[in-house]
Amino acid sequence: MDLLLPHIVNGLTLGLLFAMIALGFTLIVGVMEIINLAHGSLFALGAYFAMAWIGGDWFGASEFGIWWASLPVGMRYASALIFGPLCAAAAGMVLELCVRRTYGKAPLYGLLLTFGAALVIEELIRISWGTGEQSLTVPQLINGAFLAGGMIFSKYKFFAAGFAALSIVCVWLFLEKTPYGAIIKAGSHDSEMVRALGYDLSRLRLLVFGLGAALAGLAGVVMAPIWGLRPHIGVDVIIPAFLIIVLGGVGSFWGAVIAAALVGLAVGITGAYAPAWSMLSMYLLLIAVVTFRARGLMGRKSALEN
Amino acid sequence: MISLSDIPAHGGTPVTLGMGLFLAALATAPFWLESVGLYQYLGIEVAIWILFAMGFNLLFGYIGLHSFGHGAYLGVGAYAFGLFQQGVAVNLWGGLLAAILAAAVAGAIVAAFVSHRRGIYFALMSIAFGQVFWFCAIKLHWLTGGEDGLLGIPRPDLSLGFVSIPLDDNRALYWFVAVVVAVSVLALWRLVNAPFGRVLQAIRQNETRARFVGYNVWLIKWLTFVLSAAFAGLAGGLFAMAQESAYPDVMSLHQSGLIVMMVLVGGGLVSFWGPVLGVVLYFLARDFIGGITETWLLWFGLMFMLMVMTRPEGLAGLIHVVRRQLGHEAATRSEAPKTKEV
Repeated sequence: MDLLLPHIVNGLTLGLLFAMIALGFTLIVGVMEIINLAHGSLFALGAYFAMAWIGGDWFGASEFGIWWASLPVGMRYASALIFGPLCAAAAGMVLELCVRRTYGKAPLYGLLLTFGAALVIEELIRISWGTGEQSLTVPQLINGAFLAGGMIFSKYKFFAAGFAALSIVCVWLFLEKTPYGAIIKAGSHDSEMVRALGYDLSRLRLLVFGLGAALAGLAGVVMAPIWGLRPHIGVDVIIPAFLIIVLGGVGSFWGAVIAAALVGLAVGITGAYAPAWSMLSMYLLLIAVVTFRARGLMGRKSALEN
Repeated sequence: MISLSDIPAHGGTPVTLGMGLFLAALATAPFWLESVGLYQYLGIEVAIWILFAMGFNLLFGYIGLHSFGHGAYLGVGAYAFGLFQQGVAVNLWGGLLAAILAAAVAGAIVAAFVSHRRGIYFALMSIAFGQVFWFCAIKLHWLTGGEDGLLGIPRPDLSLGFVSIPLDDNRALYWFVAVVVAVSVLALWRLVNAPFGRVLQAIRQNETRARFVGYNVWLIKWLTFVLSAAFAGLAGGLFAMAQESAYPDVMSLHQSGLIVMMVLVGGGLVSFWGPVLGVVLYFLARDFIGGITETWLLWFGLMFMLMVMTRPEGLAGLIHVVRRQLGHEAATRSEAPKTKEV
């Protein structure tokens, strides 16, 4: 048990981060019934913009650039936590304007359109920031490792997990306790009824897509120091997000959170015994669960089955 | 929107304009490829991907199972071919048979899990299984050579019992591939125009109704998946022979997505010949746009997005609509003088 404990802790941390990635995804699926294959690319976009923001590459060696670089890293990092998601949200809204044309058609077209978008965003990242692996600077305060109960843990991973937990709670509060959340939830049950009640459906969809993309971007900024940045990171991220959504049941908030924790644990614990194969465990988990529970753990019937 | 069933059936006789054009292009390609600025190897590549795409369309367009992990079966076929050549014997027919069988078995196992799933759940499960195969290809170093793949797969001679023809030359290989592709496409054509093909479309349109009519829907879906995987395996075997190697890259989500793109851009949802158009367009775009700019995938991706937004039926759908409109205009024009006289 002592040997396994760090892996369980690591797994749960990973699970929280997975949940954060999957939340924006599940919002978009819930309201628009679009499987957004570009979600991982929005994640990457948020992370890359944050990296450029922290580095201040855009200002070059200008006076402003020198002043910017002299600011403490903590300040630049904290502001990147806002800037990255904002950029991702903007990209997400542009994407929604394109996806709009597929509403009411087979879900396949939304899937394909966002696959094309993922390809485009990945290429754009390649053009802007090159193909090599890059990293995101983290303030000293949350860098390094600490010792607890005779075991070494990474400080940043704990910060990231805490941040993820906080954002999950915030999204939940937003959905459950605010009138906007009520409209979004109503929209995911019956969008025609929401329109009939006088809400602007297309604006609602635009905003939800923006919000989902912002969550993806936020997850990107938080995850970048752990996973590193490469142009194809979008594909690496979209797979766990997918698995979690299907495992938890399409459109279910808590389903997604529970599934994320399960996936994190599965990866963490198999990591203790067979590190090379740990990522396979999540596919096997999905296949095992979905074979017996077609709609995932907490899923309900949706148009996506047609 | 138009669908596959709007396009008139031909009663299964392969003597149509489309088939004629296809076979003529396939048979004459080596003579004009170089004079239009292309190269011999492209012909092999395009032919192999046409085979893969048309087999895939059986699943994607005809029965409406949107598989996003189909690259896996191409990969399994390629590895099976390579392993057969390196581990068992250098033999063309044995290798191709191994490729077909391995992919069909892999497809049969996966189909047992997924063929009763529908819509997005099917797509997601097929992605998950595709990733499992891809992951195994990377991690099973002792079998697959890991990320590098199997290198130096020999191109065995084509032995016909009385004569043995070496296929080392790309032109010789092209002829062999072209014959295999032609035979496969004729078989596929026969299949989709037989009652079986009609059942596939019935299932796509309304699965419940097809079940009530009395068809064993699950079995037909399973069988179609296996058939489609077998064609992918054959394409994979040829691919391993052409590349003289097999590597995990073709099994990635990216590649599996690209084949979906090719089939859709070409119009696989509405036409038997759609995938051919899509594959040709993809490779031409790769070579022409790729010759101008390194970031050709950006432009191809944008083109694809535009296509999904405006013409989700793809090129074949566009051709069909244009033809119908022209036919309509011609009909009204010929009628117009008559009404004047009256």
